[in-house]
Amino acid sequence: MNLGVLLVDDEPLIRSGLRAIIDAEPDLTVLAEAEDGAAVTPLVRRLRPDVVLMDVRMPVVDGIEATRRLLANVDDPPRVLVLTTFENDDYVFDALRAGASGFMLKRARPDEVVRAIRLLAAGDSLLFPAAIRELAARHAPARVPAGGLDSAGLTDREAQILRLMAQGLSNAEIAAQLVVSPETVKTHVAHVLTKLDARDRTQAVIRAYHSGFIAPLDR
Amino acid sequence: MRGIRTAAGVCHDRPMPGLRELLAIPVRRSTWRRIAYLMIGGALAAPYLVLASFAVPALEGGLGVAGAWALTSAFYFVALPIVTGMLTTVRELEVGAARRLLDVPLADAESPRGAVSWATRRRSAAWFVAHLVLGLVICLLALVMPPAVVAVCLAPFATGDVQLGQLDPTVPGGPGSAWLVPLALLAPVALVYLAAGASALLARIAPRLLGPSPAEQLATLQRQAVQLAERNRLARELHDSVGHALSIVTVQAGAAGRVLDSDLAFARRALTDIETSARNGLRDLDHVLGLLRDDQAARAPTPTLADLQRLVASTRSAGIDVSAELTGCLDDVPQAVSREAYRIVQESLTNAARHAGHVPVSLHLTVGSEHLELELTNPLDASHPQRSGGGRGLNGIRERVMSLRGEVSAGPDAGRWRIAVRLPLHPAP
Repeated sequence: MNLGVLLVDDEPLIRSGLRAIIDAEPDLTVLAEAEDGAAVTPLVRRLRPDVVLMDVRMPVVDGIEATRRLLANVDDPPRVLVLTTFENDDYVFDALRAGASGFMLKRARPDEVVRAIRLLAAGDSLLFPAAIRELAARHAPARVPAGGLDSAGLTDREAQILRLMAQGLSNAEIAAQLVVSPETVKTHVAHVLTKLDARDRTQAVIRAYHSGFIAPLDR
Repeated sequence: MRGIRTAAGVCHDRPMPGLRELLAIPVRRSTWRRIAYLMIGGALAAPYLVLASFAVPALEGGLGVAGAWALTSAFYFVALPIVTGMLTTVRELEVGAARRLLDVPLADAESPRGAVSWATRRRSAAWFVAHLVLGLVICLLALVMPPAVVAVCLAPFATGDVQLGQLDPTVPGGPGSAWLVPLALLAPVALVYLAAGASALLARIAPRLLGPSPAEQLATLQRQAVQLAERNRLARELHDSVGHALSIVTVQAGAAGRVLDSDLAFARRALTDIETSARNGLRDLDHVLGLLRDDQAARAPTPTLADLQRLVASTRSAGIDVSAELTGCLDDVPQAVSREAYRIVQESLTNAARHAGHVPVSLHLTVGSEHLELELTNPLDASHPQRSGGGRGLNGIRERVMSLRGEVSAGPDAGRWRIAVRLPLHPAP
C-alpha cells in the first residue's frame, strides 16, 4: 500500500529534507508541501493524504489551529503527525489535545521518521508512549476531575486494554499478553475508542491521562 | 517590608549580646573600624567647632556662657551640617565610608528621575548631623580623658589639690584619693565601650538614613525586572534560533545520507544548506552571547522611537536601502510603547535583511490620537526563496505586540512582504 504524505512547515529546508527522506521509501510519497497551516484543509480535500506532517509554529495559522480546522471540516481526515524542534514545547501537547495523532522531533533519524509515518497510518499502536506520558504528566490538570472515566462506562477488560494501549503496546502485543486473539483485542480497542469518543489510540490515551484514569507519573 | 529592606541591610535584629561577646568588643577589628568612622565625624566637626569658639565670646555678654554655647551649637553643629549634608557629594562620601568602615551593605540609591530626591537629601542631612555630633562628643572625651586619668593616678602621691587636666574639678591629694585610681583606670575602657556603642548605633540607623528610599528601591527592582525579562527573551530567542538551525542541519544531513547514491545533486545542495544553517546558528549564538556578556549594553538606556534615526542610519550603512516616513509627533507616544515600537522596527528590519537580502525596505510610522501604526514592507525577492528563520523573528514581534494589547499582521501582500503593527497609545480602561 502506498501512503500519501502532506508536508506542512514554514521552513523550506525542513520540507526539502523530509521530502527527500520520505520519497526515498518505496511505499511513501510526498503529495504536496505547504508553508502555512492555512493551506492544509484545501490540500487535504484535494489530495486525500494518509498522513499530514505538521509543524507547530507557523507564521499565520499554526499547527494547533490547522489540526483543529482539519479535523472539524474534513470527513475521514488523515492522521496528523506534529513536528517539533523541542520536546518540551508546550504547544505539542496542545496539538495532541487538538487531535493530532502523535508528535515527532525534527531531529529524529530518517528511519524513525518513516517508521513514525507508517505506524501512524496503521493506527495500530501509540507513537512514543513514554514521551506522551511525560507530556501528559507536565500538563496534568491541577485537580483531577472526580470520577475519571466513569461516565464512559468501560468494562474491566476495556479498561485493562486502555492501560496497555497507553504503554504503547500494539494490538498483537496486547493479545499476546492477555492470551486472547488479536481480533478480540481489535474489537475491544474499537469499543474503547467509541466509548471515549476518540478518533484514535493517541486521543484515547490522552483522555485517559487527562481524566486521571491513568496517573501519568507519580508526582 | 522586611523582605525589601533586607536587601538594603537593615536586618540587625540580633539578640542581646552575652558576656563573652561583650568582653570581645574592644579586641574586635570591626569595633575599631567603626570607631575610626566615628572619629572622622569628630574631625569633620572640627571646623564647625573652631567657628563656634569664635562666636561664643561675642554672644557671651548677652546670653551667658551656657546660652551662648547652646545657640552656637544649634547653629554650627546642627543647622550648618544640615545644609552641608544635603550636598550629593557629601552623601556619596558618607555612603562610601559607611560601607567600608561601618560594614553596612548599603545598596546604591537609584533615583527614578535621575536626580537625588529631596527626601533622600533630608535623610543624608540627618545622618551627617548624627555622625558629626556623636563623633565630636567621643573625640572631646578622648582629648580630655588621658590627662585627667594621669592626674587622678598621681593624686595619692600629691600634697595639694590636683586639677584634672584642663577640667575644672579637682581631686584632693594624698593617700585618701587612692580609691579613685582603679576608677580612673577603668575610664578609658568605658570610653571604648561608649564609642563602640555610639558607632553601633550609627551602623544601625545607616540603612535607614543612607540606604535607598522605598521609591529608589522600587526603581532598582523595576530596572532589574526589565533587565531580567530582556535576558529571558534573549535566551528564548537563542533557544529558538539555534534549535531551528540545528533542526535544518539534522534533517538535511539525514536526507543527504539517504539519497547520496540516487540523487547526488540533492546531497550537494544539502551540504551547502547545512553549512549556511550552521553558520547562521553560530552567528546568532555569537550575537546573543555578546549582548548577554556586554554589561554596557545591559545598562545603556533602552532605546525608544527617538533613536529611530540612528537605527535607520546604521541599517543603511549595512547596505540596506531604508526609506522611513513619520506622520504625527513622537512626543505623544508613551515611553513603554515607544520602547517596544523601537524594538519591533529593529526586529522587522533584521528580518527583512535576513529573509529578503539587500532589498529596499520602506517604513511608515503614524502617530494617531489613539494608536501608533507601524508598517514595514519590502519586495518579495524571488532570488531568495530560502527564508531561513521561518516565523521566529515574527514571534518576538508578536510577543511585544501582545504585551501592549496591540494587533499585528504579517505576510505577502501584492508582491511585497508586509508587516503591519497597531499599538494602542493608552491602556484600555
